[in-house]
Amino acid sequence: MVDLFGYVRPRKSELLVREWEAYRGVYCAMCRSLGKNYGAAAKLALNYDCTFYAVFLLSALPKPLPRFQTGRCAANPLKKCPFCRASGGEVENAAALTVLLAYHKVLDDLSDSGMWEKLLHLLPYPAVRRACRKAARSYPELAKIVSDAMERQREAERMEDPGIDLCAEPTAGMLARIFESAAAAGNEAGSPRARIFRRFGYCLGRWIYLMDAADDLADDVRTGAFNPFAVRFRIDARSAPQEIERARGYANGTLNQTLSQLGAAANLLEMNELGPIVRNVVFLGLPQMQKELLFKKEKTNARSL
Amino acid sequence: MPDPYRVLGVPPNATDEEVKAAYRKLAKKYHPDNYADSPLADLAGEKMKEVNEAYDQVVKERRNRGTGGRSGPYGSAGTGGSYGYTGGTGGSGFEDVRSLINAGRISDAEQILDGVPPEGRNAEWYFLKGAVLYRRGWLEEAYNDFSAACRMDPSNVEYRAAYAQVTNQRNGMYGGYNPNVPQYGGFGGCDLCTSLCVADLCCNCFGGDMYPWCC
Repeated sequence: MVDLFGYVRPRKSELLVREWEAYRGVYCAMCRSLGKNYGAAAKLALNYDCTFYAVFLLSALPKPLPRFQTGRCAANPLKKCPFCRASGGEVENAAALTVLLAYHKVLDDLSDSGMWEKLLHLLPYPAVRRACRKAARSYPELAKIVSDAMERQREAERMEDPGIDLCAEPTAGMLARIFESAAAAGNEAGSPRARIFRRFGYCLGRWIYLMDAADDLADDVRTGAFNPFAVRFRIDARSAPQEIERARGYANGTLNQTLSQLGAAANLLEMNELGPIVRNVVFLGLPQMQKELLFKKEKTNARSL
Repeated sequence: MPDPYRVLGVPPNATDEEVKAAYRKLAKKYHPDNYADSPLADLAGEKMKEVNEAYDQVVKERRNRGTGGRSGPYGSAGTGGSYGYTGGTGGSGFEDVRSLINAGRISDAEQILDGVPPEGRNAEWYFLKGAVLYRRGWLEEAYNDFSAACRMDPSNVEYRAAYAQVTNQRNGMYGGYNPNVPQYGGFGGCDLCTSLCVADLCCNCFGGDMYPWCC
């Protein structure tokens, strides 16, 4: 199952300072929105992928950038940081997505784990479920898209010999629908904008799923968990380490192919001043992630930004 | 007609070289090669047309003012994608599928292709099936189908172009990461920089930071 958390980040060294501050500002706004709408514990679900979704939505706004204002950080009250005050509900939309995905992640952990682990995973369950219900009340369409995708993912992984494309389809399709419906606000479906958003979402979701699968390959092979690349290359616990290396190299090619399409869609987007952050993520951040996770022995930079 | 300088993203007082450089950059960005078999090919084609027109207009204006400049617009993707499923490639057995793909009716095209029995699936079938899957975003199987089409008919230029395109994409030529190509700051490293960086790494062991200006 997909673990949608943390692959989609900018390459910090290539951002301008003001772009980095804007990114931080959106991150802080996400944290605030989670806390305000879903309780302090929901802040733990904050992640880079959903933050990118918020940045993307904000970057697509035609009007000038939303205001940034300084406030105290909840995690560290001594620190003051600027946060983004968007009025159009973009951040709230992304926060709802964060909570919905967190709920399905907990569900998934529950169904996948042994008895003792199950008890551990049960702890956050009631709080997460409450938050998820609230998000689903405010964003019924989003909730439907997410739960449909999770259902289809389970079906795909139960199949006899699913191809890589088929396994990636639920996550890719989920983001395609989410991005398309975000574009559709004010635009009719099938408009150029909605088509670009849809392709962008599809390729991004596909990239995230495949990146996660390639990253988890060695662990999944060891524990016998489902992995599309293990199925494709018939790798199991007895396979040589070179087999896994080879599968990773192949996965990198598949990821590159996906990024070529993501970049093509990104190039057609009309973006405001936040555009450089989106472009940084697509053209620098994601390739960087492939490099760090697939080709480096020690994963230092990928773990914290 | 929008302001041509706005389209090119340069101020009206930019030099001819700056205009040309901006034009080249945009032409590369919207080049039909980047959108071959993409469902967004028509939108990229429109952008390309807009950029070409803006550049032509600027060049014309400047020529009339006597400041020189040369025109050289790149091709545009038009509405059908750069490989153009025109069927003019000699005895196509799938005219209907090609025209459906051209019209963007992907699922109809796929339905017809899937109805072809296994013994009727020739190189062209695999090529078109690949093109359909590619538009849907099933890049992995599209890659396999293009490769199958090339194996069955190695001399066909159309199939080879499609296969070369996806191979280049997999190698990171259109974004992504290639472990065999050094990257510095996303601008592509030159050999000199690479060797200097290696030298710098070695020197760092001895406490020196010799080439701080490089890369």
